[in-house]
Amino acid sequence: MDCSKRKWPLLCVGFLNIAVVIVGLGIGSLALVALGALGSCYALGVCYRRRGPKRRKRASARREPVVHSLPMASAPKQAVPQDDKEGLVHDLLTQGRYALLLRPQIIDNLDAALKRRTIEELDDEMALVPAGEVVLEPVSQQTDDTTWEGEEGETPQGRVVYLEPVLLDRHPITNAQYQRFVDGGGYEEMSIWDEDIWGAMLDFVDETGYPGPRYWRNGKHARDKAEHPVTGVSWYEAVAYARWSGKRLPTDAEWTKAGCWPVAMSPGNWQQRRYPWGESLEADRANLWDAGIGDTVPIDKFEDGLSVGGLQQMIGNVWEWTSTAYGSPDDASLALPMPMKSLRGGAFDTYFENQATCHFQSGDNPLSRKHNIGFRLALGVCDLAPEAAHLVYGSAENEPLPVAAEA
Amino acid sequence: MTRGCELPMESYRLAHYSVQVECYVCGGGNTIDAELCRHCQAPMALAHQASSQKVQPGLVAVLGTTGAGKTVYLGMLMDMLSRRNDGLQALVRGAFSVNLQQITTAALANGEFPTKTPNEPDRWNWVHAQLNSPELRRPMELIIPDMAGEAVMEEIDHARTFPVIRSFIAKTAGIVILVDAIRLQHGGHEQDHFTTKLLTFLSEMESDKASQTSRRKKQQTRPIALVLTKADQCANCFEDPEGFAKTYAAGTWRHCQERFDEVKIFAAGVAGACAYRFGLGDQRRRIPLRVEPRGIVEPFDWLLSRISGNKKGSSRLTLKT
Repeated sequence: MDCSKRKWPLLCVGFLNIAVVIVGLGIGSLALVALGALGSCYALGVCYRRRGPKRRKRASARREPVVHSLPMASAPKQAVPQDDKEGLVHDLLTQGRYALLLRPQIIDNLDAALKRRTIEELDDEMALVPAGEVVLEPVSQQTDDTTWEGEEGETPQGRVVYLEPVLLDRHPITNAQYQRFVDGGGYEEMSIWDEDIWGAMLDFVDETGYPGPRYWRNGKHARDKAEHPVTGVSWYEAVAYARWSGKRLPTDAEWTKAGCWPVAMSPGNWQQRRYPWGESLEADRANLWDAGIGDTVPIDKFEDGLSVGGLQQMIGNVWEWTSTAYGSPDDASLALPMPMKSLRGGAFDTYFENQATCHFQSGDNPLSRKHNIGFRLALGVCDLAPEAAHLVYGSAENEPLPVAAEA
Repeated sequence: MTRGCELPMESYRLAHYSVQVECYVCGGGNTIDAELCRHCQAPMALAHQASSQKVQPGLVAVLGTTGAGKTVYLGMLMDMLSRRNDGLQALVRGAFSVNLQQITTAALANGEFPTKTPNEPDRWNWVHAQLNSPELRRPMELIIPDMAGEAVMEEIDHARTFPVIRSFIAKTAGIVILVDAIRLQHGGHEQDHFTTKLLTFLSEMESDKASQTSRRKKQQTRPIALVLTKADQCANCFEDPEGFAKTYAAGTWRHCQERFDEVKIFAAGVAGACAYRFGLGDQRRRIPLRVEPRGIVEPFDWLLSRISGNKKGSSRLTLKT
């Protein structure tokens, strides 16, 4: 018998009572035997009452089912709220929300060291897409130009759009990055969500009913997929994350320009790459169906698929939401079952080469939360404070695109 | 003055035609130069290949209603198996076997679905392929036609309308039945009724065969892969195909439970998202916005493993999962 408290006194009482019982039996005294037995029962009862709650607690713990059977990512340590500015900046940088610090209203509150640190973070995570034109929906080179009757803004090559300089994420948003948004209460912060979608947010849950991407469990991503692009997120979730981090989704034109890197050969004539690395598709440059993997890969794989501007995995791995609506308003023959948002870039299960180019546009329901759709974010240079923009973009604003030398 | 010359005797040529070549599907006799069987319209190239290569190809039927996705499924399946480097792979035999995947991939790459398969058997696409897999002891030869759904329904309702269908199904080693998951989910019972009819037809065919061979060793039940197509457009279909079938195709589900031992339910999809395009005469047709095949090979892989298991003469396999 092991009692946690008052062990020795109870043991003594127990032995004493046993001795009384033995003596009573020896001298034939029933009264002594009864007295000893009662005393022993009392000591046993006291000991059980003290031990009982622990035993009951252990029993109930055994009955509870094990919930976590998959290796789940551990929750990051919550930053201790600090009143000082440096602590707040540290928290924002840890969460990847450096873009908020570079706003004109905020940047003056940073000292030189914090500014430098924030700019370095920006430079590590984002790449510049300079200002200039991009041709959308390019037509085939075999088009007979003499019969072209285009409208303003169109050339024989397609629809031309002029863009201001913009920064794009070097890689798609990962599960680890999105985890910070979930852990930071992103799904409860109603100000970053469109009011029209509040009712549908009840469906933005994972497999176990926690707020989060569709294929997560218990509000956490799978531990072995921390550096994979986050998938199972709707367009609205991507927009909310973008707002939370101080950025936005790129437009179709920005995405296309970042991928195909137009070069003006002559006025009105641009050369645009079919793929970020050139004109031909090579299986080892992008995670498409031909790569034979059949699933997403970490964002640092397929380094040979880098774009001219330093963006990774523009083609393959996951489709990427953009802010543009799918389809052209001039295309009267196209009927969409619902308003759709544009998708770009192809994914790990994209089968045809011509659907994995920088120019191919697909679309989907903005509420779709599919296994092969993710996103990357953009930040307009005009949204940065002037001194931050100067550091990012250099001394000259709106530098012209490089023009190929005439033969 | 006479001169001697050599002329071929017409009767010598006639000798060729006296030798009948049996159609591989229906067994009917045909002349040696016949392109299609005069009884069932199956291509005679199948019989010629079988005799020249000394193989006995197995037959697999892919069945379903009009618009269930038979052409797309079969075309994508053959194209994917032809492009793979590991796992189950296919090597087509004969130029005619490439037609189906050519038509299908050309249409899909162009942002369209292939046109409806004609009802006339002489216009169907047939595939004869050799399949290799690490799990198969030796390569397996299979013949798979792309049959029109309306023709299949017509044959079930009115026997001998399309004899090739009955002859073919009677000889198949395995069957793939495609069911349109979108139409099921929208509450249309047509898919459920068709599939139930088809399963009834197959089970009666099995019973007839069993009764004919009652004195000999009983034939094993043919495996059936029930594939819910267009599953990418239906919520939870990929996650739980059996649950989806139980919910939206209760008749089919019950029929499978009670009449068949070797049935498994799968979900498959080819288009990630779809829209509509208006053509001539304001006809609206469905178009894929991108092609990302999913669940195409798995049903066929399962079917082949069951067929090869049956061929080895193993005991009746365990109940469906």
